Amino acid sequence: MTGRGSPSRFLTAVLHNGVGRYVRQLQRLQLLFSPTAADARGARQFVEEAAQDFARQHPDVVLYVSPHSGPGPAPVLRAEYLNGTVREELIASKTSEEIVQLATKMANQSGLDIIRIRKPFHTDNPSIQGQWHPLTNKPSILTVQGPRLQPQ
Amino acid sequence: MAAVAALRAAGQRRPGLGRPGQAFWAAAGTAGKEEKVEADKAVVEKEERSEPSLICSLPRSRSYIPPMDLQSCLESHIREVFGPSLTEDWQQTLLQENRLKHRLLARLAAELGRAVPNSQLHRMRCARDVLGFYRIPMKDETKFDELVATELPPNLKITLWEQ
Repeated sequence: MTGRGSPSRFLTAVLHNGVGRYVRQLQRLQLLFSPTAADARGARQFVEEAAQDFARQHPDVVLYVSPHSGPGPAPVLRAEYLNGTVREELIASKTSEEIVQLATKMANQSGLDIIRIRKPFHTDNPSIQGQWHPLTNKPSILTVQGPRLQPQ
Repeated sequence: MAAVAALRAAGQRRPGLGRPGQAFWAAAGTAGKEEKVEADKAVVEKEERSEPSLICSLPRSRSYIPPMDLQSCLESHIREVFGPSLTEDWQQTLLQENRLKHRLLARLAAELGRAVPNSQLHRMRCARDVLGFYRIPMKDETKFDELVATELPPNLKITLWEQ
């Protein structure tokens, strides 16, 4: 689709994150998988090997490991952000390392929508000395009389 | 004849190799019977309680840690069972004769609390194989239970894993 057909947004940080302290925008990660399904093998290996290291490296993210017994939905990694966005990523038939990479990627994201960004730059102070307009640097009598009016 | 009769009696008393679970329940039964001797009143009640009457019986503990004196214990058992026909290096003793093999493995199972499973019996060809088998420790927790038991970082929460 064209730019006009699909949604877009401006570049922004959530609440000017990073100007002061950096606050990680990922609130919690939920790992939903089955303890017996074949495609959840990577997820199980992740829980056994890499989950503790990930939790220690990201102490501000809570990691919930929720196995559901029986034939259930596909294994999924659900990320919830501070602005309320919930993103689910399928981890079926992924290896433990791939899941670690995916979890790290989601931990570094903010919860803003992943759509086209109109401009790769944004500033709150576009002009320091004032935006130029045609009456800048002209004698100030023009603002009183106008350009062609004769003095009465 | 007497030896055969003795062997048969021994076979009946001792649990078979393929049914180590019976050893556990037999031990539980005998433990209950020891209690009975003390109290005469509750004889019948205790007998009924000590026998496994649950619908879903508790799984027996499969954990096994090889004891420190495993080698000497094994050597003594082999000398006991094989007796005269023993080479210098006892580890090379071949377990060809099935009767002696069964006797040896049954004694080891009773003493160490871990029996060789039926599927591994064909691998036990000489005493060294038996030694190697009994050196391997066994734990009955799943990897997940172990994980839950270790100290997790405070931001990792694992919910109940229903088997």
